Order: sequence, then C-alpha cells, then structure tokens
Amino acid sequence: MIKWIPRIVLILILLTLLTGSFLHAQQRFPKPEFDTGYVQPDPSTPEPRAMAMEYFDVLVLLVVLSLASWLAIKKRSRRGLLWLSVFSLIYFGFYRDGCICSVGAIQNVALSIFDPGYAISITALLFFVLPLLFALFFGRVFCASACPLGAIQDLLVIHPISIPSWIRKTLGFIPLIYLALSVLFAATGSDFIICRYDPFIGIFRMDGPFLMIFLGMTFLFLGMFYARPYCRIFCPYGVLLGWMSKFSKWHMSITPSECIKCKLCEDSCPFDAIEVPIEQSYRDPEVSRKNLRRFIFYIAMIPLLTLAGGWTGAKSNVFLSRVHPDVYLAELMISNPELREDEENLDIQAFLEAGLTFEQLIEKAAVIREKFRKGGMAMGGFIGLALGITLMNQVVFRRREDYKPHKGDCFSCGRCMDYCPVGKIVNSA
Amino acid sequence: MDQDQKIVLTRRVVLISGTFSAVVALLLILNFWHMKHNEPLESKTIEALVERLASEPDNEELKEEIRSFDLLARKAYFTSQWQVKSGTWLLLIGGIVLAVSLKIYTDLRSRIEEPEKVTEDLLRARANSQYWLMMAGGLILGLSLVAGFLTNDYLEAYQEMGVATESEQQEGDVEMIELFTGQPDTTGDAGLEVSETKNSEVVSETGTGQAPVEESLATATEIRFNREDFKKNQATFRGYMGQGVSYHKNIPENWNGSTGEGIKWKVASSRPGYSSPVIWGDKLFISGGDTQARVVACYNRHNGQLLWEKEVSGIQGSPAAPPRVTDDTGLAAPTMSVDGNRVYAIFATGDVVAFDMNGKQVWGRNLGVPNNHYGHSSSLQVWDNKVIVQYDTNSSGRMLALNTSTGETIWDVERPVHISWASPVLIDVEGKIQVVTTADPYVSGHDLETGAEIWKVEAMMGEVGASVAYGNGLVFATNEYARLVAMEPKAGAEFTWEDDEYLAEASSPVAYNGLLYTATSYGVLVCYDALTGEKKFEKEFNNGFYSSPMIADGKLYIVDMRGVTHILKADASGTIIAEPEMGEGGYAVPAFADGLIYLRGESNLYCIGK
Repeated sequence: MIKWIPRIVLILILLTLLTGSFLHAQQRFPKPEFDTGYVQPDPSTPEPRAMAMEYFDVLVLLVVLSLASWLAIKKRSRRGLLWLSVFSLIYFGFYRDGCICSVGAIQNVALSIFDPGYAISITALLFFVLPLLFALFFGRVFCASACPLGAIQDLLVIHPISIPSWIRKTLGFIPLIYLALSVLFAATGSDFIICRYDPFIGIFRMDGPFLMIFLGMTFLFLGMFYARPYCRIFCPYGVLLGWMSKFSKWHMSITPSECIKCKLCEDSCPFDAIEVPIEQSYRDPEVSRKNLRRFIFYIAMIPLLTLAGGWTGAKSNVFLSRVHPDVYLAELMISNPELREDEENLDIQAFLEAGLTFEQLIEKAAVIREKFRKGGMAMGGFIGLALGITLMNQVVFRRREDYKPHKGDCFSCGRCMDYCPVGKIVNSA
Repeated sequence: MDQDQKIVLTRRVVLISGTFSAVVALLLILNFWHMKHNEPLESKTIEALVERLASEPDNEELKEEIRSFDLLARKAYFTSQWQVKSGTWLLLIGGIVLAVSLKIYTDLRSRIEEPEKVTEDLLRARANSQYWLMMAGGLILGLSLVAGFLTNDYLEAYQEMGVATESEQQEGDVEMIELFTGQPDTTGDAGLEVSETKNSEVVSETGTGQAPVEESLATATEIRFNREDFKKNQATFRGYMGQGVSYHKNIPENWNGSTGEGIKWKVASSRPGYSSPVIWGDKLFISGGDTQARVVACYNRHNGQLLWEKEVSGIQGSPAAPPRVTDDTGLAAPTMSVDGNRVYAIFATGDVVAFDMNGKQVWGRNLGVPNNHYGHSSSLQVWDNKVIVQYDTNSSGRMLALNTSTGETIWDVERPVHISWASPVLIDVEGKIQVVTTADPYVSGHDLETGAEIWKVEAMMGEVGASVAYGNGLVFATNEYARLVAMEPKAGAEFTWEDDEYLAEASSPVAYNGLLYTATSYGVLVCYDALTGEKKFEKEFNNGFYSSPMIADGKLYIVDMRGVTHILKADASGTIIAEPEMGEGGYAVPAFADGLIYLRGESNLYCIGK
C-alpha cells in the first residue's frame, strides 16, 4: 500500500497544479470609481525577440540535435540523452515558453505554401527542417532530447504499461488525421490548431485557459502509465519524423554488436517500439500465399480508399470551414440575424468596425468555403491513402533476426541500450 | 550508503515533498474558492456606504470611509493574487522534487525481470490491426459523411436565396370560405381585372426605356397616382393618409361573428399576423407570418375567395431564420399598403416586398434585420411613387422612401430618435405633403419629396407605439407614461395643449370634426376638444384597446382586445350606437368599403355587411 502513496500524492499535485495555473486566468481588477489622481500608464507592446536571439535558438537546436545524435549513436548514453532532454525542457519549454516549436512550425510552412501573402521566418523554417534532416540520417533524436513536449512527458514515465499492437496501430492513425487537419486549417488561414490545443504550453508558461491546462495535466497523468501519450497518439510532427526516420542510415541500435537474443531488452521500451525477430512460421508458403492475396487486395483498395476519402473530405467542407472566423461570423449573422445589431457581441462589433459590408463578408466566406472544399478533398484523399498503405503494411513480414528498434516509432531515448548485456561488455572493454 | 538506505531516503523525500505539495495544493484550492466566491468590490459594506453616499453626496467623511474599504478590498485581492503566484511556484518546485524522487525511488526498487516466455502472436496481432484499422477508417469516413450531410449550410442557403425564383404556393390548402348569404356572389376573377381599374385613369407604359426591367415585366399598364383613389380605397394603415378617417357610407352596425348574423363571409387566415387588411378595388390584402414563412394573401373582397397567396422569398440579405419577436407583435404586425399597381409589405425580418395585383413578386429587398426587441410593427405608407418606411430601431433612427416600381431608395434619412413602433402619417400642410412620425423624443415632420426634416418637437419618451393624429391644423401625439400633446406642425412649436391622464399604449388617436379620440390599453375611450384639450367624455369598457379608432359614416368604430367593436356617434356626446361581437380577439384596424366592414380577428378574416 505504502508504495502507492507517492503516486497518489503525485496525482493530487498534478491536479492542483491545474488549479494553480487556472487562477492566473482571472479578469483584471476594475478601476476605482472615484478619482484617485493616479495616472494610468500608456499601454506598451513588448518588443519582438531580437533576430540575433532567434538565430541563437536555431543554434541551440542544432547543437542539441547534434549532441543527441552523438549520444544516441556514438556514445550510447541514456543518461546523457536524459540530461539533454532536461536542458531542452528548461530552455525550449520554460525559458522560451514553448515557442518557437518544430511541431507548430508545420503550420507556418503550410500557410507559407498556400498563402503567397504570408512570409515564413527563416527561424521557423529551420525549426521545421532541421529535426527532419536529422531524422533522415540519425532517427528521431529530436524526440529523444530536443522536444520540450516529449521531454516533460518522458520525465514523468513512472510505470509504463505495454498495450497490444493492434491498439497501437489503430491509435497511431490519429496523428495522421491531426496532421491533415492542422495543415488544412493552416493552409486556409483558419487556425493554428496545433498551437491552440498544445497541451503543455500552459504549463510552460504557468498560465493559460482552463482547457489547455486540463489537457496538459491529463496527458501528464496518463503518461505515467502510457508513456508519452501526446507523442504517440497525437503529435502530427511525429508522423513526418517517423517517415524520415524510416530511411535513416545511422539509427540508434539496441546492441553495439551482434544481438544474442537474450530478450532482456524486450520489455525495456516504454513506447513498445522494439521489433522482435520474425519467426520462420510467418514466412511459410501457406501464410505467405494468404498474405499475398491480402496484399493485392489492399493494393487494389488504395485508389478506392483515396477516392472515398477525397469525396468525404470535400463533403465535410461545411462544418470544417466553420473553424475559419470569417465563415463562422458569416453563418452566425445569417442564422441569427438579430445579432447583427448586438452591441455586446464582440466578434460582430469587431467586424462592423473593420468597415466591411455584410455582402463582402459573405463573399469572403464563400471563397474560404471553396478552399475548404478543395482542401478537404486533398485531406480526405491523403487520409484514405494513408489508411490503404497502413493496411497494406500489415501483411508485409520482412525478415528480421535481431531485436531492433522500430525506426519509425523509436524516439531514440536510449533506454533499451541500458538493458543490453552486450553493450555493457563492450563499454567495459 | 547501501541500496536499502537509498530506498528509505528517497521514500522519505517522496513523502515529504508529496505532503508539502499536497498542503500547498490545498491552500491554493482554498484560496481559489475564496477568490471565486468573494468579489472584492461587491462587498455589502461598500455597497451600503455607496448607497448612503447617494443621499449624502457632500459627506467627505463617508467618502474617505468608502475609499478606505475600497483600498482594503484591493489589497486583499492583490494579496490573494500574490499567494496564487507564490503557491504555484512552490507547488511546481514541490512537484519537481516529488517527480525526481519518485523516479529515483522506482528505479532503485526496479529489478531486471525474467523475459516473458510467450510473446505476442504476430499474425493474430496483424489481423486484429487490419480489422480495427478498417473499422476506425470506416467510422471516420461514416461520421464525416453524416456530419457533412447533416450540417446546415447557411452560407449556401443564403446565396441561393439571392438567385432563387419565387416559390409557387399551393392555394388549395389555405382556402376555407364560409359564406353567410344565401345569394350566390357572381363577382369573379375576370370581373376583378376590370373593376380594379374602373375608377382610375389608365396610362399605358409605352416602353420609353427608362422603366425598370422588373416593372416592364410585372405590369403592362400603370395606374397614375390619384388622391381620390386613396379616398375610395382603404389602401393603407388607418386609411387615407393614415389619418383614421374613412370616406365610405352605409357602414353596418350590427353583426355577430359567432352566429354569423350580419357576416357576409368569413375565411381563416393561413398565417398569423396583427396587420390590418387593406383594399384596392375588389381585392383585399392581408399579410401573415410565422417562423416557417411570411406571406401576402389576396382575396376577392366580395366573396372571400383566395385569389392568391405568395410566400416572401428570394430576397437578397433576408435572414435564413427570422429574428426573435414577442408573441404580442409577431412577424407580420405592420399593415401593408396598396396603390392599385402593386401591394407593398414589410415584415419583422426587414424584408420589404412588392407584388403586382396578380401576385407576381415585382421587387424585394432587405433593409437589415431590425434590432427590435418586440418585433417591427411600423406600417408602410404609400404616396405617389414612394413607399415610406419608418425604420427606427434600437440601433438607429431611420426613415426611407422606396421607389414603388423598383424598390430603389429615393431617400434615406438618419433620425436622432430611439426605437419606435409607430407608423408614419401623411399630412397636407399648405399644399405640401409631410410625413409625420413620432418616436422618443421627437415628433417630427419630413418633406415627402426629400425626407428632409421640416420640424421637430421634443414631446415623447419611452416606447412609442401610437401613431399621430392630425386635424384642425394640429398634430396629436401620445404615448403611455409620457403625455398626450397637441402641436402645430412647424419648427419650434409649443404644445397647444397637453394632458397626461389617459395615455394610449398602442392605439393611435384620431381627430375628426374638431374632436380628438384616443383609446387606452386598459379600456378607456376619451374624447377631447381638439383645439383646447378640454375633455368631452370618457368611456370605460371591459376590455383594453390595441386597435385604433376609425371614423366612418359619421361614426367611430373601435375594436377591443376581445373582438367587440364599439360604435359611437362621432361627436362629443359619447353615445354608443352598438357593440357587436366578432367572436374572437381583435387587434387590427377595420377596413371599410361602401356598405361593408372587414375585420381581422386572431384566426379569421370577416366581411360584414350585405
């Protein structure tokens, strides 16, 4: 019983942290009703971060990624990766308030591609590209030590449990959808949903709306048992990193030498990212024939799934486009015409003060709706295609004789390396 | 330090940091609840002192006391905020220590476990993955499709409204005529086409190229404006110029809507509405509306046959859903106007629409949904080529004149008044027509041709519902909780007389033969000398009045809320001639034709006479 006490206390702490942060969202105190002689200072807008400091952030990222690659592949130091992630958490998380962030940079890139009027900053572009480049050569070292979102969850992995692979595969489909949606919303100029629903920003800033803090605390609590839930179930950037990492030439390995199949590392990965050797029985002719038939079936299904997804995505344009403030406002004013005169509706008052006419708003909304129709079609097609490819991969059994990290899923955290007896021998030698 | 000692030490750190964090968390929660339930400036003590200050505005000692309490409240608030900030940091530090110590503790206690002998069956796992991936994919596709199809596309509906052609209304399902005469009515539709224009000069439009396309499509001929036609037809709210006087004779005095006595025909209204019937030639028009549709209906006024009923649609800018209105106003409270060429209607949606005499929608436009907490009720006035719209809302005071042929704005004036439910009235001052309106605070006269304000008098306050009356060169305006005033229609005019004893809420006064009649919502009909304000009589009835009095055939007709029409001699005697009942509630103004009265009840339209 006593061993559970600290965990219960920790849960309490996490929940009350939520309360503490929530309190900062109080409204400003009203001014006195009488004249005090106090002169209100003029409001001032904080200066943006100096360009030199932004480049310094990029430099820090580059250094962290390089160090992480060296620690994971050459030095093979779990401890080094851990302390590096603590540094990243402090620097990119608490010091830089979680912004700029490679995960959110997806949206800047998407918007810059689809909106010619939007110029992406070089730092945002580098924050997007650098981790992908490193993943292409060294695996997901960004996830191991540079991502503050991953670091805060990684540090709170207390008692990870393993879940069946079919659940992981199914849940692993969510980040694809999240990626597609975030690109769609960013490309149409609607919203940066990755930032809006970033669960840890509120914690990094010690402030934020109730929902944000609540989400963050929920993820941290869940992460004690299901390690790094945001990274595995939601992170859209993880999808891109996973794709790159699959082609990485110098990926971290469990053993520095030949695997002796001692199975000691089998349960070492809290993220279930270790692939076990494929038994010969999966490759016998009967199983292979059956899998081949399925493989052909899924190949044939891919175009159909892509088309079905595209059609569904196009049909979803109405409700998806409501995320865009102009469409939302236009529909609000159509469906609730009395609100057009509502002086307390800030959205409508802001629109009226902007000097646009209602008809102009309708025209803008119609243009955006059309973008959503096309974008929704692309998004749906992408999801259908991804579903088809994922299904197809389920019937492919590649020869594997050693215990190896799954290149796409492995965060390169290095935990498994500590379990390898061969590694201990090599290190001591 | 051996392993066991390390475990004991870390366990103690875990317990201490955990307890510390829990205590801080508890204090934060208490502070949170305290802050949430105690608004510093809503202190009862401060409120009581501020109330006292209202009666003792010069009490400096009291002011100082209030300031002291206010300062105290602010200090308490900012102290709480400081506590929250400090507590959050302490909690964060405690949480970090706890997390680190807990991690070390669990690591110290961990043992390398024996590898599992049975690993997951990969084939089965892959098969499960395929199954659940397909299920999840199907579910997402299905839900997206359902959501896509079920989502109401307001934008598309709105855009389609702009290009939609008028919807054809089924006529059969709204007609229910109850004839009370034994003699068949031989007046048919064919006759109507002739009788419509028999009193008017017909001018052929020869296609000068200046006539709008809508007009040339809508009608081949136009009736030229003629004042006499407006006297012969009760074409607007309260008849000729909106002044409440009818020029028709032989008006019936006795009927009973329940038994059918004196009723020529009765027909059920297809949609509810408080608007009054208007007449041109042999046609009678009413408007109605609910959340489903707003309609204009045209009847053969001789036999009650529904000639056409048209739904108002296809108007650019019209809201997809009607605004919220109260039940006692509804969506179709304003009375229409008709000029023999077209019939004009306005609804609480802000839609103004014109139909030709055969029910073809000629033009329609939306003036912007009126910001009106009861619902728009101001009726239209039509004169020559202008439809006058009084559009005073919570957002702004405004009046417009629209071209009768095209609906285009002829003039649109801003007015420094608050919302009003009254209707414009036309008066002829030295040969020049003025549009007279009443609202809080001004009663004002405007040039019909330009909309320019000619005069205004600050006279009203509150929610003005009654329109003005005009007689003996004086304008009479009234409103509940304000006053009844008489004034000359000129700039800087003083009140000729005023009274505040009996004030109308919705019923508009009428001036006739040197007398002014006004009716209250609590059932009192009062007669004044129009020139002096001397009260001639007051009659109290059982039911209140929302409908307005009309003068016809030397008699005053007014319908109370229960549908009883009180008919009095239109003189200072107050003699009641008759009090026939309709059999249902009545709020509309009666429409008159020679030998006939048309009454609109809550559910039915009645033709009274022989």
